[in-house]
Amino acid sequence: MTTINRQATPQDPQGPQGLHDDLHEIWGNPRGLKALTIVNHTTLGLRFMVTGMVFFLIGGILAMLVRTQLAMPDQDFMSPEIYNQVFTMHGTVMMFLFAIPMLEGLAIYMIPKMIGTRDLVCPRLTSLGYFCYLFGGIILTSSLILEMAPASGWFMYTPLSSSEYAPDLGSDFWLLGITFVEISALSAGVELVVSILRTRTQGMALHKMPLFAWYILAMALMIVVGFPPLILGSVLLELERAVGMPFFEVAGGGDPVLWQHLFWLFGHPEVYIIFLPAAGIVSTLIPVFAGRPIVGYGWVVFAIITTGFISFGLWVHHMFTVGIPQLAQAFFSAASMLVAVPTAIQVFVWLATLWLGKPKMKLPMLWIVGFLVIFVCGGLTGVMLALVPFNWQVHDTHFVVAHMHYVLVGGMFFPLMAGLYYWLPLFSGRMPSETIGKWGFWLTFIGFNATFLIMHWTGLLGMPRRVYTYDTGMGWDIYNLLSSVGGFIMSAGIAMVLIDIALHFRYGKPAKHNPWNADTLEWANSMPPSAYNYVSLPTIETRHPLWDNPDLPRTMAEGQHGLAVATHGRRELWGTDPLTGKLRETIHLPGNSWWPLFASLALAVVCISLLVRWYPLAGIAVIVAGVFLLRWSWENGAHPKAAPDAKVMPGDPPLHSRTMDGPGLWTMSVFLIANGSFFLSYLFGWFYLWTVSPEWSMPETSPLSLVVLVGAGIATIAGMGVMEKLVSGLRQQRDAGLAVGLYIASGLGALQVLLIGWVLYSANLAVTETAHDAVILVGLIYALFHGGLAAVLSLLQGLRVGYGYVGAHAPFEPAVVAQLWRFNVVTFWVLIGALAVLPRVIGG
Amino acid sequence: MLSLMERLRLTHPIHFVIGLTLWSIWFVVVYGGQAVACEVAPPMPEQGVFNLLNGWLLIVSILAMAVLVALTWGCCQIANRHQGRLRFNAAVSAGLYLFSALSVVFVALPIVGVPPCL
Amino acid sequence: MRERASYMASPNIQRVSHQWVNQIAPLFVLVATTVLVGCAGDKSILDPAGQAARDVRLIWWIMLSFASVVFTAVIALWLYAFKRKPVERTPAEERRIARRWILGGGIILPVSSIAALLAFGVPAGQRMMPVPLDNAPEVIEVIGHQWWWEVRYPNAEGGEVVTANQIVMPAGEPVDFHVSSADVVHAFWIPRLGGKIDMLPGRVNRIRLEADEPGTLVAQSAEFSGVGYAHMSFPVEVLPRDEFDTWLSARQPEQLADLASQGNSNALAAFQESCASCHRVAGLSDSGEGPDLSDVGGRAALGAGVLPMQTGAITYWLTHHQTLKPGNRMPAHDDMDDATLETLGNWLEGLNP
Repeated sequence: MTTINRQATPQDPQGPQGLHDDLHEIWGNPRGLKALTIVNHTTLGLRFMVTGMVFFLIGGILAMLVRTQLAMPDQDFMSPEIYNQVFTMHGTVMMFLFAIPMLEGLAIYMIPKMIGTRDLVCPRLTSLGYFCYLFGGIILTSSLILEMAPASGWFMYTPLSSSEYAPDLGSDFWLLGITFVEISALSAGVELVVSILRTRTQGMALHKMPLFAWYILAMALMIVVGFPPLILGSVLLELERAVGMPFFEVAGGGDPVLWQHLFWLFGHPEVYIIFLPAAGIVSTLIPVFAGRPIVGYGWVVFAIITTGFISFGLWVHHMFTVGIPQLAQAFFSAASMLVAVPTAIQVFVWLATLWLGKPKMKLPMLWIVGFLVIFVCGGLTGVMLALVPFNWQVHDTHFVVAHMHYVLVGGMFFPLMAGLYYWLPLFSGRMPSETIGKWGFWLTFIGFNATFLIMHWTGLLGMPRRVYTYDTGMGWDIYNLLSSVGGFIMSAGIAMVLIDIALHFRYGKPAKHNPWNADTLEWANSMPPSAYNYVSLPTIETRHPLWDNPDLPRTMAEGQHGLAVATHGRRELWGTDPLTGKLRETIHLPGNSWWPLFASLALAVVCISLLVRWYPLAGIAVIVAGVFLLRWSWENGAHPKAAPDAKVMPGDPPLHSRTMDGPGLWTMSVFLIANGSFFLSYLFGWFYLWTVSPEWSMPETSPLSLVVLVGAGIATIAGMGVMEKLVSGLRQQRDAGLAVGLYIASGLGALQVLLIGWVLYSANLAVTETAHDAVILVGLIYALFHGGLAAVLSLLQGLRVGYGYVGAHAPFEPAVVAQLWRFNVVTFWVLIGALAVLPRVIGG
Repeated sequence: MLSLMERLRLTHPIHFVIGLTLWSIWFVVVYGGQAVACEVAPPMPEQGVFNLLNGWLLIVSILAMAVLVALTWGCCQIANRHQGRLRFNAAVSAGLYLFSALSVVFVALPIVGVPPCL
Repeated sequence: MRERASYMASPNIQRVSHQWVNQIAPLFVLVATTVLVGCAGDKSILDPAGQAARDVRLIWWIMLSFASVVFTAVIALWLYAFKRKPVERTPAEERRIARRWILGGGIILPVSSIAALLAFGVPAGQRMMPVPLDNAPEVIEVIGHQWWWEVRYPNAEGGEVVTANQIVMPAGEPVDFHVSSADVVHAFWIPRLGGKIDMLPGRVNRIRLEADEPGTLVAQSAEFSGVGYAHMSFPVEVLPRDEFDTWLSARQPEQLADLASQGNSNALAAFQESCASCHRVAGLSDSGEGPDLSDVGGRAALGAGVLPMQTGAITYWLTHHQTLKPGNRMPAHDDMDDATLETLGNWLEGLNP
């Protein structure tokens, strides 16, 4: 292990203030228009959260409209057309534009601080994620103003959302806007995984990581695996709507149930993607207010991992009424109930911690208790819903609406509020008002239960969800009225909370340092935090650094720990071993940049031009976005803007771009996991339609030329071979013939693309006639894109060798590209097997 | 047996995810298998639960459970030999393997009670 | 304001009236009455009229009781943890206590509850499985449309019987419903009998339901299907077997055709001109765009449960259908004068075999 800990000694002429100024010079945020270039996680985390709050208010207003309409039978407040848009957008906004981005924002803000580092590993990706979220959100919500909002419900079941039954632009707004927003979720997911695994401060082994980081790690991995099925589904449905490829149309050999599978393959994990970080907040706060470490740290890790996995085996429980055989339903029923185990473990771990500690009922704890009451209730109805016969009765009634709000509001909103109050002093340096805060809590809590507890009953009396009106005489009237009254009480409560938070920035008492006496590192920050978080990065020996070493904030601020000197002008942080937390390299991060903004603007143009079906512009914008992204990737490694020289302070480990194992490698791996999930979803779709779709027809002879496809497969294997040889040479410090080798690999990639293009051309696919041909087209375009990407990236690597950015002295990047080649080889051969070989073997 | 377990490096945190990954694969095999079988060659409804399909599903489930139980046992053995980080890893892995094994049993229970494809 | 009475409050079924609850409605009465009479309702799953729904109701009450105990205990323990005085303990004692909590509450409690639940639940679902029976049950095909219901009796003696927006089924015997959809996804649900099952384009789903005794029930779509979704309900008439057979045999196409052709010639002409391209009336027209009208006069309600049938109802429907059921696919009949509409309405009302 390399040891470091260069200290700012008392003889240091600069002293702590000098260190601070140096770091501020490098990390500080620009003002004015240039603020759009900021990539810093603290700023962007706040932007995420504030934007999320705005969308929460929009979603909340929509909810109030719904409750107004349903307050009494036979209301004329809204027409069914408007009502359908309102409830669809309420669900969509709350799920995609509030819950996920809000929690991601919190994680983006908090994770680097908690694990003792200065920023996330891909700061420009954070920025891209934010702008994609912002633009996607604006595009989506603008549909409300245009009265063209999606109106098929937030899960967009086909054929109701298809061009035949929803001919206006509503569904397109949804599909394109959500896919755009998902770029943001995915990029945040990818970089959170890599940051947590590779940039924890020295000594923070996996089993000493704060529990919150475990929760976020699980959430991020779940995003990486769980979002691609919906992205695929959205792409397919948009293709069906825009071009007429019949993926979900029975007559063309498609199947609307495929959409339901793809949606819920995403949609169920999504619930836990929302719940896990919120539970992470609970697990962070309870030990602090109980004044003792959490009992059963290992149990909680166990619960997190099991929840993460099991949640992928439950999706069919949203589809119990689809007519799936009862045996299959029983599997999903049992698996759904299993989730009760890790959840119960967490509830009792929290209880035991309180039991063995000295709990104090402060404002954040009040929200935690509120969370418990609501969430336990929602969990219990969740177990009930997992029971198939009961589910058949209450499915799509207000009982489910009530359950879902208990789980989501209880499981996400209440812990979020607890966390907000808890971390508020960190955000602003001030304390909120306990009195207004308590009013806010009680109004929200009472209002919430008044709305949704009663709604269980309305559902049992048979009121279906999503009806815009109902007859009197069903016995539903009074319950609906009470629910509506409750809803308005709840919004008064939330207004109180917002007022409290707004006022506290001005009138709140200044908070003392670490006001709750917490144990985790984020409280070693100054309040509010500086752009670089810490003057020096400590070595951590325990799970509770601030309890075991209360002096740590001071010594960190005085620069007594690692990476305190910044005269080299780089943004630096530690790269550590993912398991043990041993120091491995010095990671240097890129600074503020326009590229993320430009790239996301170009993507927004793509989105809008697809929306208005102006395809030439979309094509141009895709190319422009690609150029921006490649230009962005150009400013890496040994580029003059990144780290032109490899000099480090004596004793520090080497710069990551001068090793073979930087965070880029990890980012590429995690991105490829997401990509693999997309590919598997595609294969699922192919085999699903093939076996189950009612009108599927497999042609007698495959339209694909197997010989040419195998040729393309051999080209990609050869390309991978070349890359592997180059990388193993770089590992041994040899870079002779590197550029030539990269150009050869690039050429092989181009050959693969040409051959696939030829197959496509000669196959003469009738993509608007049969789902079979349409699915094949999508698969081959996938291969085409990836082959092309590998070729372009290899070509750029070759150019970078010429510029001197890549070579034996900076050997890192070809290894990243080599991973893509490996992925391409595997997916392309699987694709050949699935699309061209199996149909020949098995036949239609 | 134990020497095999030692070769698997059960103190590595990769085992946090292997058990549940095996569970997921088993789940996909059983769910996908019955779905495909029901499309291609559904057993007669009159046969009730005693048919070839349920038999196969049961065998696959028992195999999956056996592998997971063996890994649980291995992790327990290895955990007892270590302290600190390695013990933590092996112990959590043991718990996760056990949970995966029990999940297989629990989710497989309907195979002995529900006829397929209806 | 829409005038819409409800055919739902049917006299056939003995039930405590719950109207007064709506009128008085103070909270304390509500709590007390919730359990006593609040369960009743034409779409209430807690007011079963068949064994499958009764099973689910039993499961619900058991689950609710058990869940209430668990809920109260967990919350009480949490609150007590705040109130109690902390006790000094050695780390070994702490570990032991923690392990007890986690194993007891985190493992044993959920595992035993879900095992019990599964043991209860799986058999209850099998009742609705269409396993083969010795006496093949009556089959009723129901096809969902935006926003009405096509109903067919394929095995009726003498040939298939077609109707719309109503189901008549025999009491005291299992009936297999084969459901499908002509457009988007709908769901077939008779809350007081059990269910529900989705109606998908391109597929036929099957569910077996049984009503205990004769009476009127209500069916409801439970999958969002667009603008007219809130108005996709219809009456289910449960008849004794012999009355059911009579009902069925009165709807043979030839008889319905006779009935239709006896009408006023103006009405027949108006029908052929303005209605026949979408609606089927046996012997006169054969289109499936809109609901079959061959026996419309004999149905309990119009427009999929929107307007109860009574004298003059059809004429009223013809002039007000877009306000009664916004978004429905029938064009406004502005081109027809009131007298023609009334003749047409009277003739349709007479289609009551």
